[in-house]
Amino acid sequence: MSDTNTDNNVLLDVKNLYTGFTTDDGLVKAVRGISIHVNQGESLGIVGESGCGKSVSMLSIMHLLADNAILKADAVTFGGEDLLHKSVKEMRKYQGNEISMIFQDPMTSLNPLFTIGEQITNPLMRHKKMGKRAALEKAAQVLDQVGIPDPQKRLKQYPHELSGGMRQRVMIAIAICCDPRLLIADEPTTALDVTIQAQILELMQKMKEEYKMSLILITHDLGVIASMCSRVVVMYGGLIMEEGPLRDIFYRTGHPYTLGLLESIPKHDKQRLVPIYGTPPDLLNPPKGCPFAARCKFAMKLCQEHLPQLTEIGEGHRSACWLHNPSVKAKRGEVKLS
Amino acid sequence: MSISSTKENCLEIQNLKKYFEIKAGFLKKPNILKAVDDVSFSIARGETMGLVGESGCGKTTIGRTVLKLYEPTDGKILYCGEDITNLDDKQMISYRKKIQMIFQDPYTSLDPRMNVAHIIAEPIRFMHLMEGKDIMDRVRELVELVGLKQDHLNRYPHEFSGGQRQRIGIARALAAEPEFIVCDEPISALDVSIQAQIINILEDLQSKFNFTYLFISHDLAMVRHISNQVGVMYLGNLVEYAEVEELYENMMHPYTKALISAEPAADPDKAEASQRIVLQGDVPSPINPAPGCPFRSRCQYAKEICGSVKSDLKKINDKHYVACHLFE
Repeated sequence: MSDTNTDNNVLLDVKNLYTGFTTDDGLVKAVRGISIHVNQGESLGIVGESGCGKSVSMLSIMHLLADNAILKADAVTFGGEDLLHKSVKEMRKYQGNEISMIFQDPMTSLNPLFTIGEQITNPLMRHKKMGKRAALEKAAQVLDQVGIPDPQKRLKQYPHELSGGMRQRVMIAIAICCDPRLLIADEPTTALDVTIQAQILELMQKMKEEYKMSLILITHDLGVIASMCSRVVVMYGGLIMEEGPLRDIFYRTGHPYTLGLLESIPKHDKQRLVPIYGTPPDLLNPPKGCPFAARCKFAMKLCQEHLPQLTEIGEGHRSACWLHNPSVKAKRGEVKLS
Repeated sequence: MSISSTKENCLEIQNLKKYFEIKAGFLKKPNILKAVDDVSFSIARGETMGLVGESGCGKTTIGRTVLKLYEPTDGKILYCGEDITNLDDKQMISYRKKIQMIFQDPYTSLDPRMNVAHIIAEPIRFMHLMEGKDIMDRVRELVELVGLKQDHLNRYPHEFSGGQRQRIGIARALAAEPEFIVCDEPISALDVSIQAQIINILEDLQSKFNFTYLFISHDLAMVRHISNQVGVMYLGNLVEYAEVEELYENMMHPYTKALISAEPAADPDKAEASQRIVLQGDVPSPINPAPGCPFRSRCQYAKEICGSVKSDLKKINDKHYVACHLFE
């Protein structure tokens, strides 16, 4: 789709991914044809509201979906290798090894029946073929790296004995202990207080530099994106609305939805907030045209009937909006978004 | 120490304490959890006080104690100058009409077996505010006020999105014609684009009915947007209290500084320029807290005195109070 995808620098390349879930009510079309790529050492942010398909798209790549999921894509490659047609068994070599994931809720994503030590040594023994003693040693070392005091003691403790911030550190330790090339963090700080969030973000930044990992950060918090990512993908209704370099997204916004998100944040001047009216579309019966049309203040008749394609509006900056279409521009004139 | 303004106070709390006993075992002395420890503030009629702090700092406990959902351990709660601290449940009913609450989680605070009309009508029926046909007329009016439609009335909570449910919760709080509303994290379960809708409704209602809000939240930007005064809490203590602009422009307490700097700015240039103060460690346990300043274990300026003597709130100027030994 773009020429940047063809160079050797690309680590993860996803082309035209569709994910649906069969339910009693019908097929929920959670992800409706998205292409995402991540370069080596890059931090990619994926923003969007709940239910826009950000988590599902990442879980699809990892083959971690429930049984009622239907997955379709043109290609999913990681470091040049095809992931799409891998069996469950073959995928295990990647999960927690080359690609790791940190989940949102540290309270429920650790197993309460196993000690911290057992949970960190598990991937080390499985992927790195370490012996138990070597794995425990490495585990203590990683716990120390993620800033957990007294690692030897913690290894013997159970998750309920740790605070939320500590548990999220343990999650990070498990995720990085096998030196992954890609770390996917799904709302890693949403359940945490701001002071603990600051600690975790700082830690992730440090670990990313130290291990030269690529990072995909899924969040709905534009503040977290602004301080962590270099490139941003904005999703809505299972589709990519806009993607581009961080500053282009914030300062040269190319999509009304992105603009709406930015405007919803209070600006310290006590001006009345500008919300996005209405609610997100129902993905059981997604609208024929642009999914955002029903809530968009710039919407035209065209938007309701035809789905806009991602079009280049700057270097590496693409937006899926009819406002950027040459014939619409000729008719309406240039609409200023940012 | 009491903070009082020249304006007419709607709610005033004086040296409020709420301790919980935690059983340590048979015949053992129970542990004391000091959820709220000697907090005083007042809110003037028609204004909004924001209460911020990390989870477990006692914000919600204050909100619930003000409504007397928890019995205070010590201290006074004054509503329009009248002491309501020791009223029993029956006497409280007349105050409950005036003091209402909007809850954090719109998914669990609505009864799934009641339709919207029933949910909103319940406080009216329970408090015998109206009879017969008038009740439904009032419900229709309330639904309109919060931006829902009449045909929503026969539906059940599961048919609504988070933002719409929060509107139902607001309509229910308004049903008793309150004067004072405790908003306990009313937007934290909602998406960013929906948060602004709810905040606008709260502001519209305030200007229309002259409501007084106690706005409990950990979203510092939103608190700055909606509040007139802000109180910062840490481990059951009010550590700083000021007019909103004074607090954000001229914050003094080391904890307030760390808290505000920890919130990432949704602006890449500002995010790059800002110096984030990253606090080490976690909030200590509020069970049997050590003497001295509650924040000293994480404070980079902690002195010897901080370990033994707890600083009281001191007046810096008319608009600003802070509890820290650095400013004595």
